[in-house]
Amino acid sequence: MATSGTASTFRPSVSASSRLTHLRSPPSKVPLFTPLPSSRSRSFSVSCTIAKDPTFLMAEAENTKTAGSDPTLWKRPDSFGRFGKFGGKYVPETLMHALSELETAFYSLATDDDFQRELAGILKDYVGRESPLYFAERLTEHYRRENGEGPLIYLKREDLNHTGAHKINNAVAQALLAKRLGKKRIIAETGAGQHGVATATVCARFGLQCIIYMGAQDMERQALNVFRMRLLGAEVRGVHSGTATLKDATSEAIRDWVTNVETTHYILGSVAGPHPYPMMVRDFHAVIGKETRRQAMEKWGGKPDVLVACVGGGSNAMGLFHEFVDDTEVRMIGVEAAGFGLDSGKHAATLTKGDVGVLHGAMSYLLQDDDGQIIEPHSISAGLDYPGVGPEHSFLKDMGRAEYYSVTDEEALEAFKRVSRLEGIIPALETSHALAHLEKLCPTLPDGARVVLNFSGRGDKDVQTAIKYLEV
Amino acid sequence: MSSTKIQIRGQPLFKVLTRNHRMINSVVCGVPIKRQHRVSNVLRTSDPPLGSVPTRTDESQFLRGDGNGRFGRFGGKFVPETLMSPLRDLEDEFDFVLNDHEFQEELTTALRDYVGRETPLYFAGRLTEHYKNISQTTGGGPEIYLKREDLSHCGSHKINNALGQAMIARRLGCKRVVAATGAGQHGVATAAACAKLSMECTVFMGTTDIEKQSSNVLSMKLLGAQVKSVEGTFKDASSEAIRNWVGNLETTYYLSGTVVGPHPSPLMVREFQSVIGKETRRQAKQLWGGKPDVLVACVGSGSNALGLFHEFLGDEDVRLVGVEAAGLGLDSGKHSATLAVGDVGVYHGSMSYLLQDDQGQILKPHSIGVGLEYPGVGPEISFLKESGRAEFYTATDQEAVQACMLLSRLEGIIPALEASHALAFLDKLVPTLRDGAKVVVNCSGRGDKDLDTLIQRGMPSSLC
Repeated sequence: MATSGTASTFRPSVSASSRLTHLRSPPSKVPLFTPLPSSRSRSFSVSCTIAKDPTFLMAEAENTKTAGSDPTLWKRPDSFGRFGKFGGKYVPETLMHALSELETAFYSLATDDDFQRELAGILKDYVGRESPLYFAERLTEHYRRENGEGPLIYLKREDLNHTGAHKINNAVAQALLAKRLGKKRIIAETGAGQHGVATATVCARFGLQCIIYMGAQDMERQALNVFRMRLLGAEVRGVHSGTATLKDATSEAIRDWVTNVETTHYILGSVAGPHPYPMMVRDFHAVIGKETRRQAMEKWGGKPDVLVACVGGGSNAMGLFHEFVDDTEVRMIGVEAAGFGLDSGKHAATLTKGDVGVLHGAMSYLLQDDDGQIIEPHSISAGLDYPGVGPEHSFLKDMGRAEYYSVTDEEALEAFKRVSRLEGIIPALETSHALAHLEKLCPTLPDGARVVLNFSGRGDKDVQTAIKYLEV
Repeated sequence: MSSTKIQIRGQPLFKVLTRNHRMINSVVCGVPIKRQHRVSNVLRTSDPPLGSVPTRTDESQFLRGDGNGRFGRFGGKFVPETLMSPLRDLEDEFDFVLNDHEFQEELTTALRDYVGRETPLYFAGRLTEHYKNISQTTGGGPEIYLKREDLSHCGSHKINNALGQAMIARRLGCKRVVAATGAGQHGVATAAACAKLSMECTVFMGTTDIEKQSSNVLSMKLLGAQVKSVEGTFKDASSEAIRNWVGNLETTYYLSGTVVGPHPSPLMVREFQSVIGKETRRQAKQLWGGKPDVLVACVGSGSNALGLFHEFLGDEDVRLVGVEAAGLGLDSGKHSATLAVGDVGVYHGSMSYLLQDDQGQILKPHSIGVGLEYPGVGPEISFLKESGRAEFYTATDQEAVQACMLLSRLEGIIPALEASHALAFLDKLVPTLRDGAKVVVNCSGRGDKDLDTLIQRGMPSSLC
């Protein structure tokens, strides 16, 4: 996902033709999000309400009240697409209809047996699911303490999926959804190219026209992925405006969508963006957690004790966590990118160092300076290099349901090498962040604690990068 | 098959610690292994019948080779005396593990959880439609299914064998594994398996191949393997690896990547790869309640082909089609079409077809699919050709590249250039088949490793 230059990319507004028919009061202009002066405190909470309708305000208060420590009572999301105060739909009016249409289609397909059957078949025969839950013997041994005690490490092998990462779960489902909606044209933006490749892949499979927006600078750095996308039949459009990177590509993609919304579906790659995307993308990835529950039951007759996943936008983490949110005895840990270090200013640790604001249509934590300008993030791994995070993660953090930590580039590279050597599986640099966190986590875990780590992608794409830094 | 290993219930299985472990009774394919083996490391161009032809009357048993590692007149054990003893040990060990419950369970678990088996049998709807449109028939046309070995850990079928053999190496007490690799897939698979089983790994690779498949070289190093470059290509790397093995017999295991070499290599590798065919039978039954009509696979040395074919050797109604590399054309002299234009001789320890000149010197093979670039072919494959059980054709570099691009565009799967040879042959095969014929193509690997090669060939305008 991209940075967009300012926190208030989308101007929230309500008009008479809005689909939000439950609003009874006349349309009102919502104030633009304006940052407070630098003396603001950490506990500042943004209230950027869509309307002055008191019933709405009450509903929100209701949500927060009941959203105590019982996750089963949480609305994830509510009818506005909110997770607590996070989420929502901060988009231009032209996109409101498309989003509502998407939401309606999504809900109806959830109960459509034909769709579910077709999707299950594709996930099995095309993507290669179910992915194994693999007991990492040598990694477990590595973390065994001197007295012989230690946790048991299991890896959920999303790296074995077609195209080598979890991304395809969502891409395949959204492409199928787009077909159902009668859309023939798919657009997406991409930074390093992974999401672009996944999108181009499914478009080839379903015979859909595919246009990928990519910053001209990124195209130069990722020539191999550009070639791959073209080989798969996609058109890769270079974006030369701004810094010619991901955030500019996103703006271009959104511009395209606004212009061609009748014929075009925008495949968003993560659990960020306006409602219904965070919910949809999470639900499409939820197969990861569902399988894990079943496999854990088969393997050891119980549930995992700890779930660990890397967090960029947050899709692979939500895919694993979602199934277990209501199981309060299952600990959930997200690991973000600390880049050169949290104090260096060059990182992507949104939940640790960010503040609440609106980015790309949703309210969530994001990396912003005192003027509300987006801070350019950094991580050695392109997939974690995002200044925002999915709103549901922001919610889970605030509710204390999930814990979030961060890992530097260096620690990630060490884990990359370690796991390659110990298990013969080369992890993606993104996944390496989750693997690196095991170093701090495992010594604190009781004997026999079962850790399931989402092995979100394979590292073939990162071999050239890693070799530069590692002595091999 | 019987075994004399006695395991006392409740006691840990006696682990093999030394290389002197012997089985009293070794049985392979229902025939006891004879202790006298003929040694001959002579390279011949003429082919007088060697060894005795098995007298079994059961046709399918005959097709599976005899206890001496012979498939008809092909195969055998043409090695220096120093290797006879370790090869015997290997035979014994392999024979044991075939029936050892503990080994088989460990292997099955690893294949499921580590490698990601079973691989799907995927109905390629758009590819099927493409051929239907070309032929403009009114009927349904044949149906094309892809056996997705590209989804396996490390990206090809090679891991099935690397894992099985690495487990045997560990049982034999070896600390070190050596292997030779062409495209790098076998090297990566071996490095991965050795990392998992905590063994040292040295991979020999030809200098030309190292250049063409550099990403695989980096992967091997990351997985902890040592990569040694050898002047030339796969055949030269193989020779060097064998030399290294012979020089370190006590501690080292030679992990062959394909169905060539002296007995028991062809048999062992084929057995480990045969999981492909076994799954295919089960999946075909589930999907359409029958068997495949035609099986298609690319043939370099023949491991992925035999892995798919072996299960169906006894099913006469299943056609077996192998596709070799015609490189720049059979007349150009730059190809690897061993079965098409080769002669019988002995190479790397076994008798088989090979590309040789009039003086019996090995010819330098060529293919854009580096994994197919081998001047020999597995003895069992030679036998399948000679007995007429399987048919063999060829596809050129150009045809393979076209097929790669077609599958990418139609199905969103970028196949390895090796597998693309099998896909290329569909152009000629499909028009000859009846409507509804079920074709299973072994998609033996993914094409990420070949992107640089494809880029160098330039982008045809039809892609943009």
